[in-house]
Amino acid sequence: MKRGLGWLVSAAVAIGFLLPLLWMLHASFRPEHAIFEGGFGELLTWQGLSLDNYAAAWRRAALGIGLLNSFLQVAGILALGLLFNSMAAFAFARLVFRGPRLLFGLVLVLIILPVEVLVVPLLLTVRDLGLTGGHGRTLAALILPFAVKAFNIFFLRQHFLALPRDLEEAAVVDGARAFRIYWSVALPAVKPALATVVVLDMLTHWSDFIWPLVVCTREETRTVQIALANLFTEPPIQWGHILACAVIITLPVLLVFRLAQRHIVASDLAAGIK
Amino acid sequence: MNPVSNSTRAAAWLFLAPALALLGVFTLWPMLRALGWSFTAADLLALDSARGVGGANYSDLLTDPRFRRAFLNTAWFAVMVVPVQAALAFFLALWVNRPERYWRWLRTVFFVPVVVSMPVLAVLWTMLYQPARGDQMGLLNALATGLGLSAQDWLQNPRLALPAIAFMSVWQGVGFQMMIFLAGLQNLSPEQLEAAKIDGAHAGQRLRHVIVPAMRPSIVFVLTATLILSFRLFVQPYLMTRGGPEDATVSIIQVIYEMTFLGRELGMASAGAMLFLLLVAALTLLQRFFAREVRS
Amino acid sequence: MREIAAAFNAAHAGHGVEVHLTFFPDHQYTEKVTIAAAARDLPDVLALDGPTVAQFVHADLLRPIAGWFSAEELADFAPAIRAQGEVDGVLYALGAFDSAMVLYYDRDLLAAAGVEPPGDYEGWTWDEFLAACGQLKATGFDPVALHMDLTGDEWYTYAFSPVIWSAGGRLIDEETHQVDGVLNSPLNAATLRRWQEVFARDYADRAPVDPDPFGSGRTAMDWSGHWMARAHLDKKGDRLGAMPLPAMNHAPAAACGSWCWGLTQDARDPDAAALWLRWVVDPVQGILPIVSANGAVPARASAYALFPDYDETPFRLFRHLQETAARPRPRTPFYPTLTQHVAAALRDIARGADPGERLDRAATQVQQLVNRQRGAL
Repeated sequence: MKRGLGWLVSAAVAIGFLLPLLWMLHASFRPEHAIFEGGFGELLTWQGLSLDNYAAAWRRAALGIGLLNSFLQVAGILALGLLFNSMAAFAFARLVFRGPRLLFGLVLVLIILPVEVLVVPLLLTVRDLGLTGGHGRTLAALILPFAVKAFNIFFLRQHFLALPRDLEEAAVVDGARAFRIYWSVALPAVKPALATVVVLDMLTHWSDFIWPLVVCTREETRTVQIALANLFTEPPIQWGHILACAVIITLPVLLVFRLAQRHIVASDLAAGIK
Repeated sequence: MNPVSNSTRAAAWLFLAPALALLGVFTLWPMLRALGWSFTAADLLALDSARGVGGANYSDLLTDPRFRRAFLNTAWFAVMVVPVQAALAFFLALWVNRPERYWRWLRTVFFVPVVVSMPVLAVLWTMLYQPARGDQMGLLNALATGLGLSAQDWLQNPRLALPAIAFMSVWQGVGFQMMIFLAGLQNLSPEQLEAAKIDGAHAGQRLRHVIVPAMRPSIVFVLTATLILSFRLFVQPYLMTRGGPEDATVSIIQVIYEMTFLGRELGMASAGAMLFLLLVAALTLLQRFFAREVRS
Repeated sequence: MREIAAAFNAAHAGHGVEVHLTFFPDHQYTEKVTIAAAARDLPDVLALDGPTVAQFVHADLLRPIAGWFSAEELADFAPAIRAQGEVDGVLYALGAFDSAMVLYYDRDLLAAAGVEPPGDYEGWTWDEFLAACGQLKATGFDPVALHMDLTGDEWYTYAFSPVIWSAGGRLIDEETHQVDGVLNSPLNAATLRRWQEVFARDYADRAPVDPDPFGSGRTAMDWSGHWMARAHLDKKGDRLGAMPLPAMNHAPAAACGSWCWGLTQDARDPDAAALWLRWVVDPVQGILPIVSANGAVPARASAYALFPDYDETPFRLFRHLQETAARPRPRTPFYPTLTQHVAAALRDIARGADPGERLDRAATQVQQLVNRQRGAL
């Protein structure tokens, strides 16, 4: 009896909490004039539902290219990030001597730097490096500045430090040895942390807004969030299309979240934070 | 103690090189340039003809009514979001910290808005807040009228707009804070809790005297992290209200953005960015201070 | 636009010249152009909104273009079009069409409410307009659509500056760039207080949901422009009427100004780029397709021959307004900031803010920027 009640309560709370998203899903299938019709009866109608909004949103917001751009951006950041962040973290954890120690302090300081502050000087820097204009170059501008993150380095370093020393007793003799130890021993041992970093970065960068807003000047370089923003502000404003676009660009993150849930070990994250 | 060999040194630098290069080029170097520009009256599109103005940008900014308004708005937003979200997250964590499967499932539910991108949510909630015109209205007004309250022009009312955005932001982020608190709760020693129960303390006293003190590190972290995140407010007002109505929702970042790309005043914008950075740095130092205090 | 480009490419196939179109998102176009300029990613030929030409000339982004047109060709362009693209007497941009704003109305609905529309080419005074709205509302119709739902700033400045001008007010002094005292003059405050009446009396929706309430039959009148002409004609047919926008007691002013094309300094081959520029403002190649699609006012006198239906309503009104009362928005390098604050002020005033205070705030903001940058002019 108590279990039944527990299920009921949690289901009610869940529906209430997720009501906005459930509405979004439902309304995205409805024709334009019906979207804002008040009253709760509307929430349960099955009539008049169609995929029209989705077809129109896909076309108007060029979501095929948008999804590709977002995907490439995130993949690039993850790939480069995994490699470079972990290498730096490993160096700070295991290969330290006085010089890098000071540098690590600098890296720690950079954690606080929010991207919003960086946007304007970064645009000009990226321009000076010739990373503006073409499709490939804009992607580079989306990826390179954010592949290496002070927080990821810090986080991974914590995990490397926690590895038992005897793994690398013979370690730190020469460059090749160090790399092999890093690659075959240390990295695999911190897989959960790597997975956490991957998932967090993916969620973060899929939602990137202010930087792509500034850097994606051309239509074909737009990421999905910018495509949605444009759909939201360019007349004619069709709420149905906007909703469908929003649903489409949310599906990939939900998928990744579902698959990777077990990797976001909350206690792990909390430990890393301290 | 092994003497550090040269090849170790080389290895270390090799490992660090890519990360340091990227950080240097794409983080440190732009910040230094911004610092430089903040002392000039540079035009975004005519950088070469920049002339130095000393600290004039800073003083102009600090006396600029719109910048001040933006700071007040952002601070007010933080005041609305941080305590509410943290308290809610704490109690949710207490509530769902039970072994049955449906509580675990509920935790995931709370986390979903965190995962959904902010631009999507900003667009969605603009529609949810849609004012009532005849029988057309957004979901929130439908709820309000259903409960017998009057429908509001949420985002068009200067007094309601920022709280409306704050409400949505609390809803979005509460799941993440809850997870942090959950982790903290699960690290509590069961012995302490048992001891408190045996001593006859009821739930409220247990909460105040055992749980909260033990959770202090998490609490400090959540409060300060949320505070810093709140000041970085941009997407919600930019998409939902464009800074209006009557500048009631304009954020610091939006002002900097507009100074750059509408006014082309790179010098002013850079000074704004530097001031913002100082603010974030100050808040971070505050966090470090409180965290250290907790540890000792 | 893509068809025009295709035709251009076909015609120039053998000459090694090709045009690639890049569409910048329309939302906050000026920001995007500035960003692209900062990123040095501007195309060779750039479409600009008329009032922003001064800003881009000041930023040294455009080349003079008079050299690629003969004197007769230049004379063929309407004076308003040439004035739009001229800064300090030098021509930097030319458009294929000009815009027009009118008050559309549904004859049947007006007749049902007992409202008599004014004679040919005549408009109402503001008081007459409010009275008509009152009658319409009393009969049970929504009087007028003012499209306050649009998110871009430019709509507000564009659509409602004529109200200010028709009272004799200004937004900025174009010679001295003075805003404080000009924008927030007592005259403007009084004008906008009368404008505010439309919302205060609920004649127009402050936060509409429907983007086309006139077309869908909800409102009796539509404060809109040429871009809706064909759509409205399709929906209303003979019932469609158009009159100039209601004017305050001074001389009426008609909105004008629209997209025009300029050549950027970065263009690697200006002569080739100029071929496209000439193509897109050519009566047959450029004006005919564009104006057939958007119902705007052709920029060149010689192009009118291509549009027989321009003797009909509402097009003849567009032409008449452009020839008699067109008034461009202020030509100043500070236009983006000016329009941003004017638009914000208009939105707030529509919602009930006190016009005097709100204009003061806007004027001070813009003036501060002007003062800071005046030294660089």
